[in-house]
Amino acid sequence: MKATLRDLGIGLVLAASLASVLTSSYLLDVAAYAAVLAIFVLAVSVTFGQLGYVSFGHAAFLGLGAYTVGILVAQAGWSYWAALPLGLLPGLVLGVLIGAVSARLSGAYFAIATLVVAEILVLLVVNWVDLTRGPMGLMVAASPMPLSDLVGWSPQQGYLFAVAAALVLAFVLLRNLRDSATGREWTAIREAPALAESLGIATARSRVLNIAVSGALASFAGALLIPKVFVLSPSLLGVSHSATGILGVILGGKATLVGPMLGGALFAIIPEGLRFMGDLNFAAFALMLLVVVRVLPGGLVGWAATRPAVARRLARRSPGGMGALPAPAPLAARARRDGTLLEVGAVSRQFKGLKAVQEVSFSVRAGEIVGLIGPNGAGKTTLLSMLSGFLPVSAGTIRAVGQDIAGRPAHEVARLGVVRSFQQTALCAGQTVAANMAIASRLHRPADLSGALVRTPAWQARERERMAHALGCLDEVGLLPRLDETAGSLPYGEQKLLGVAMALAAQPEVLLLDEPAAGLNPVEAARLARVLSGLRDKGMTLVVVDHNLKMLMSFVDRVVVLHHGVKIADGAPQEVTRMPEVVEAYLGRAQAERIEAVAA
Amino acid sequence: MTDALLQQLLNGLSIGFGYALIALGLTLAFGVLHIINFGHGEVVMLGALTVVMAGKLGLPYIVAVPLAMLVGVLAGWVFDALAVSPLLGRPEGRTDILLTTFAMGVLFNQAVLSVWGPAPARVDGLQGRLELAGVGLSSQRFFVIAASIAALAALDLLARRTRFGVEMRAVAQGEHAARVVGIAVKSVGTRAFLLAAAVGGLGGALLAPITSYSPMLGQAVLIKAFVIVVLGGLGSAGGAVVCALGVGVIEAMLGLVLEEGLAAACVYSLMLLVLLLRPQGLAGAVR
Repeated sequence: MKATLRDLGIGLVLAASLASVLTSSYLLDVAAYAAVLAIFVLAVSVTFGQLGYVSFGHAAFLGLGAYTVGILVAQAGWSYWAALPLGLLPGLVLGVLIGAVSARLSGAYFAIATLVVAEILVLLVVNWVDLTRGPMGLMVAASPMPLSDLVGWSPQQGYLFAVAAALVLAFVLLRNLRDSATGREWTAIREAPALAESLGIATARSRVLNIAVSGALASFAGALLIPKVFVLSPSLLGVSHSATGILGVILGGKATLVGPMLGGALFAIIPEGLRFMGDLNFAAFALMLLVVVRVLPGGLVGWAATRPAVARRLARRSPGGMGALPAPAPLAARARRDGTLLEVGAVSRQFKGLKAVQEVSFSVRAGEIVGLIGPNGAGKTTLLSMLSGFLPVSAGTIRAVGQDIAGRPAHEVARLGVVRSFQQTALCAGQTVAANMAIASRLHRPADLSGALVRTPAWQARERERMAHALGCLDEVGLLPRLDETAGSLPYGEQKLLGVAMALAAQPEVLLLDEPAAGLNPVEAARLARVLSGLRDKGMTLVVVDHNLKMLMSFVDRVVVLHHGVKIADGAPQEVTRMPEVVEAYLGRAQAERIEAVAA
Repeated sequence: MTDALLQQLLNGLSIGFGYALIALGLTLAFGVLHIINFGHGEVVMLGALTVVMAGKLGLPYIVAVPLAMLVGVLAGWVFDALAVSPLLGRPEGRTDILLTTFAMGVLFNQAVLSVWGPAPARVDGLQGRLELAGVGLSSQRFFVIAASIAALAALDLLARRTRFGVEMRAVAQGEHAARVVGIAVKSVGTRAFLLAAAVGGLGGALLAPITSYSPMLGQAVLIKAFVIVVLGGLGSAGGAVVCALGVGVIEAMLGLVLEEGLAAACVYSLMLLVLLLRPQGLAGAVR
């Protein structure tokens, strides 16, 4: 909180001194425009940079904010400064709406939805002449900022201070948000949406929140633009403003917040330099967009960050706002629950004509390790996906920890205590191991949006506790020394172990592991077996799908065998390996004998 | 009154067939390459521009139409070489392609503006009128319907009966599996993209005499095509054709009672409503 107040204070002093120092009307105008565009591009970077969603219609938010406040001032007689805060609202509402129609789908739908919404708004503004004056444009007279004459500022200086202060506030709050559980959710959704769901993140809701935050800020930028443009015209909502937003983010660097801010400011300044090009301005923008995307995907700031000197300095900084990392909290042995944790009742799943899983029933007691085996195509992964909420069941019931979970979305199932890992490694490959673990700790402590915005002491304490828990889980799989490495650069075996640690950090009652040993060499597989045996000794309940029977049989209590979607055996490893139908369907005689030797 | 309605229905259908070709180009690129070409509207505009230019040179319209397809292919080739192919292999390539195709579209648009200026132009299509049971249909509109049906039938044959068509459908279903069975995924993708551009150019050439040409038509047409493919379910060719006809007719009917701009706003809002209630599109399967 102290740091946040300090940053805000420094920013406001800078804004005030900038407003006091500049006296040239031309420079004041350009500076104010730069600050407004910086806010707008920051808003675009919330969806584009944080969520990975491209928008071709962010001008819709900008124009909506401008017109709402403009109409309040020009038609309803409000004072501009009283109406200004309301500029946040229309963007927020529109953001929720666009989020609702597109958040369940891919980013392509979001791009299309924004473009279409912007077009609808243009048509409304052009045609609703009584309210908006249509193509003629709406003249809005903004009074000077209250109190600005007290400090001896001209109206223009007061305006510059207001927009610069708004920029400072937006930047600090967005930075705090990015470095909180909410911002980490967005990173996870951008890089690995299925993983995010499995860790208890409600991806659709989180996307809507992101789009709403971005929309509110963009719409506020529109309201701030009024004193600069004076006349609101439908071109505010046009594609050239939307393109400015995207290009500002791309040019500055979409992975950061400083980049978009710089990019936005550049767009107020560059056109001044490009005036000689006249109508070809827009073509120059497009050419820049094409070239920057192809040659400099990280933008200016991304490029600067790869310079050795800068990279060394960046590496010394600790991740987001936490200061030094806390000591790992050891993963405690679980309080032994009694009875059945997972109860699968006659579950079936059909894909058109194919019956992938047919009326499979089994149960898992607390503290039990169950192996789920069967030949390829037996329906193991399908079953696991149904247990974890990733696939709806065609028929049957699943009860976990006393609750009916069939038909619930994956993130709810994870919250109820059934967490899965993935067969192919699912990580945020571009993030560090520490960042991945922070993401995975989502369920350890609930996200606290308002606490995160100002970093209250209580929020900070929770963050430390969250991180201590996450690091404890990382320690459990032996990856603590890898903390600062990029997850995607770890060797394959360690990536899979990291996947297990992340699932652990989501605090499962039942942990479902989908082929954790697939693709591992014998040394890595032995390491994994030690980790899983360790979890078993701490009382964790596990369901493990794998083909590495030697490893599996060495620590499971019970084996369920699937064949063609049907359960053909369920019992202790020694019993099951002797059953003729299991030997016939899956093991083969030689393998059965080898396994019996291991299990005995 | 019913005559007026029937007239608008026919007008709407003829426009709808033109939309169908344009939307098909968009949905084809999405289906096979899983990319959205945000510059597709400009390819359509170039198709329309071709028939304008051909008219000025004295070429008959019927010759200009295949020329427009050729121009579409050329534009598609430039798009592919600069804004699509080089980015397909990147980790976030498909997001980047939204941006690069948008940028290429703007560049084409600005190039046309700076060479030929912003003035709209009328295009003389086929002359004459057909009368059927009291309802008239211009030869041009009749030609749009007939040519579109022929093009759709040809595309259907191509997709079902030719080796390229089968390969294209295989890539659409699963790139990895297609590669495993020996299909040259990259080349199939490029050819599908060029085909999509050719169809877009054809759409522009067919609609130009009805809606008249303007260098800004690309943007308007792109939004309409988006509405159509989303209504029909992204990647679904059948859905795109049916919804294109629907949009054409609804637009024509709304045009009887509303101003043009508001009628368009209503159709666009329909897309948002469908996304909210049935995100997979009207014709798409539940996933």
